[in-house]
Formats: sequence, structure tokens, C-alpha cells
Amino acid sequence: MSPQILVDGLISGAMIGLGAIGVTLTYSILRFANFAHGEFISWGAYFAFAVSGLLGYLSGGLAAPIGPFSFGWSLPIAAVASVALTAGLALLVDAVLFRPLRSRRGAVIILVMASFGAALALRNLLEFIFTSRPDYYTTNLQIAMRLGGGMRATPDQLLCLGVAAVLALAVHLLLTRTAIGRSMRAVSENPQLSGIVGIDIRSVVRMVWILGAGLAAVAGIMTGLIVQIRPEMGLDLLLPLFAAAILGGIGSVPGAMIAGLIVGLAEALTVQVFGAEWRAAVAFVILVAILLLRPQGLFGRPE
Amino acid sequence: MTAPQAPPIVLTTQALVAGYERDLPIIRGIDLSVMRGEFLTVLGPNGAGKSTLVKAIAGLVPVHGGAIRLDGQDITASPAHTRVRQGLAFVPQTENIFTTLSIQENLQLAAAILPKDKRQARIAALYDMFPDLSARPRRRAGQLSGGQRQMLAVARALVVKPSILILDEPSAGLSPKVVGDVFARLRAINRSGVTTVLVEQNVKAALGVAGRALVLVEGRVAHEGPAATLGDDPVVAELYLGARHSREAMAT
Repeated sequence: MSPQILVDGLISGAMIGLGAIGVTLTYSILRFANFAHGEFISWGAYFAFAVSGLLGYLSGGLAAPIGPFSFGWSLPIAAVASVALTAGLALLVDAVLFRPLRSRRGAVIILVMASFGAALALRNLLEFIFTSRPDYYTTNLQIAMRLGGGMRATPDQLLCLGVAAVLALAVHLLLTRTAIGRSMRAVSENPQLSGIVGIDIRSVVRMVWILGAGLAAVAGIMTGLIVQIRPEMGLDLLLPLFAAAILGGIGSVPGAMIAGLIVGLAEALTVQVFGAEWRAAVAFVILVAILLLRPQGLFGRPE
Repeated sequence: MTAPQAPPIVLTTQALVAGYERDLPIIRGIDLSVMRGEFLTVLGPNGAGKSTLVKAIAGLVPVHGGAIRLDGQDITASPAHTRVRQGLAFVPQTENIFTTLSIQENLQLAAAILPKDKRQARIAALYDMFPDLSARPRRRAGQLSGGQRQMLAVARALVVKPSILILDEPSAGLSPKVVGDVFARLRAINRSGVTTVLVEQNVKAALGVAGRALVLVEGRVAHEGPAATLGDDPVVAELYLGARHSREAMAT
């Protein structure tokens, strides 16, 4: 067995983990499984693709590679714009679709089915605008560096790992050390009591969308940088995202990140042992196993 | 020049109609006035609408008619979180603290609506008032005993120095000794100047601390009077406050 699966697994796991943080926050605070979350990943990747392409067109120097990386300054600048645009998209979807449904106090299943509809609409709109042909942020080739122990990784891959770790830590600190983080945890535990305490639940809901969609955008950009950009990229990640969110324990940010890495490593191991065609089955097996054996997940508390 | 005096009436409801369903109101036209500094208890049989009344006042149950005024301001349509900022503090019967947060975090959440430079001092004052809570402020609130949880819920409500403190059955699930402690603390809080409204099933304890009592029946005010004499009325006691209390009242 090649030790390379460790690097491959951690890199894909970091992207799954970032996406799973958004899923776990939405699930615990808005109390529904948002199946449109994968589309925020795709839209984040395409927003960055469009903005970086525009910047590269306006100033060729911005597209020139930075140091050992395959991309120029146009991509980091576009990533910031993409986070803002994807957060705006999430707020728009909430205002148009989810908020009216929440205000009617309908069953959770209605919100879940609405998220399926939103996912379909967003994915098809993306395909209509950008076509289904894969796109790339850069066509520059990178040589993987030796990491020791028979493992290799490109500078882009190592950067993605570092960014994912920093973002996960930042979100964890936001939730545990700041006033808005306390409010988010309070609403997650008891929305009615939160109102009595003086928390404006609408502002907490807005924060959840901004945070979840922003992290999804970063996950999308990383996936686009390391693999490719496709309208279905979010859909392909959806099952691993939910597997990681449930494995980590709903509401637990460190849990989502660690579980994302576990799912990524399991996928990499499966590809090497059984073949690439079994990759998609791994998340499903983990999801079923955790629901049967420990429904509260690794870091969650039993209801 | 003298400072403007606060109005003598803190809270009023006028012809209040409230309930979870518009066509099935639980509160059916209640007129209520709570004077500044008084201790009012709301009593009545199960299903009379006691909890629904205070939840409607706190903004947790839809109001279908009438008006609620706090310090002269109409708050009927205000969401719950803005009523707190206007001076209304409510302690629900159950799930009245955040069990996954620490004691300190529960108080910090409530203090978030105060100016930044006053938050720490206010929390420190609450710890002085409730020394049990100050021993281990980082302790998870879910690990507290029933009595400590009630004290944390009351402390949380007092953080904002409310115009009125409304409590829904704080004795529920507590042992008689702890109930005594909780009610003694509520009496002290009221004597410090905090207007208090207490919904209770424990009639004897409630009448022992309150100055005035209301008896609700089927969503309407059936009787009203000084707490000291209402419990002695054998008709009221027999009909609405439970036979056991009636016998106790007669015996004393």
C-alpha cells in the first residue's frame, strides 16, 4: 500500500471538511439538511473562475504564477470576491425560498425538498452559463515535491491543506470565543430561549449563511485548483459532506473537519485497495454505519 | 429641577386575546395592570391559561387581539428579542438556560445587549447576588442541580436590570427545601425594587411571597385581590386553588 494515500486523503478530506462545516452549521441552527449546499461549492468555484479570468484579461501580470504556485494574484483576489458573491447568493436563496417557508412554520421535509429544488435550479443555471465542459484556473503544470516517506504533494495542494486548517481553526475560535459565536451556539440549542435572552435570530441566521457559503466557496476554489471546475462538482461532494457532518456530530465544527479528513482518507484508501469506481460508495457506507452505530456522531451528544 | 419619575404602572394588558391558533384562543380578553415594585402572582387550575398569558406578554405566543404596554410603550407587535431590550425579562418554566454553554457564557449572552463597558461589572454584581454561581463560572450549565439552574435562569434574566421580571412556575420539579430557597430569593429580588410577576401551581408558596394575586379560569380573570386574603377565601380556594390548599387555609 502506497503512503501517498495519506496525502491524497488529507487533501480531499480538507475540502470535504470545509464544506461539511457549512452543512453542520445549517443543520444545527436552521434545523434542516440543506441539499443545495453543494451548489454553493460549485458557484464559489465559478465565481472565482469568472473574476480571475476577468482580472487576468484586464492585467496580464495578475495571471503570472506566484512563487512555486500554479496561479497568479488574480486567483486570491478572485477568491475574496467569490466568498462575498457566494455568501450573497446564499442570502438571496434564503430570502426568496427558505425564509418564507420558515415563517410559515411548515414541516422540515418541506425545507429539505425546497433545497433539492434550489440545488437543481442552481446547477442547471450554472451549466447554462458556463456549459458542462470542465474548466481550469490555470494550465500551468506543477511538479510534486518529495515530502519524505514516499509521499509527494504539489505546492498548490500543501497551500490548500494549510488554508483549510487555518479556516477551520478560525471558525472554531469564532464559535467559542466571540459574542456572535455564543449566539450561534445558543440558537442551535434553543431558538425560543435565544429570543427571550435578546438574541436577534435573523442576524444569527444571516451569519450562518455567510459563514457556510463562504467556506463552501473556498472548498470549491480548492477543488477547482487541484482537480477541475465542473457544474456537478458540488453534487459529487454532497454525500461526502453529509457523511462528514454526521460522522463529526451535528453542530461540531472540529468534528466536521476531522470527519472530513476521515472520509477523505477512507476514499483514498478505497481507491487504492478496491479501485476508483468504489470511491463514491465509501461516504455512503460511512453514513449508514454512523447512523446505525452512533447517530450522534463522534463529537455530538445523544439527544 | 427633579428627575422625571418612572410611570407607576409598569405593564398593562388590555382585552388581551392570545393563543397558538387564531380560532382557538386560550387567553380570552384579559385586562391586567402591574404596578411598579409590586409582587403579583398569577394562579389558577391547570389549563386556565397562566403560562400562555405570560408567554404572550413575553412575545412567545401569538396575540390575536388587545394590547400589551410596557412602561407606556405598545409592545404588542414587538418580537421577543426587542421586548428584552425594552425591559421585560422572562424566565420560562423549563429549558430556561443554555445547558451546553457555561454559567459565564449564559450570563454573557444576556449581557450582550448592555453597553460594552458595563457588561463585566453587571455580571460581577450578579455573581455577588448569586454566590453559588460564582464558584465555578466555567462549569457547563447542564451540570447544575435543579435549584442552581433556576438561580442561573433568574440571574440571566436580571442581567439587563429589567423593569419587570416574569417567572413561569420556578418551583416546578424542585424539592420543598429548594422551593423555599428560590422563593426567598425572589422575595429579596422584589424587595430590591424589581417588579415581579410569578405564575405558580404551588399556591401556598406563591401567596406567601406575593402582595397581590390573580386567579385565572378558562382564560379570564376570575378573582383578584391581596395575596394575604385571597387564599383565605374558602370559595376561591375550593374552586380554583385546590382542595388541599382550601383545607390548609381553613385550618389556619
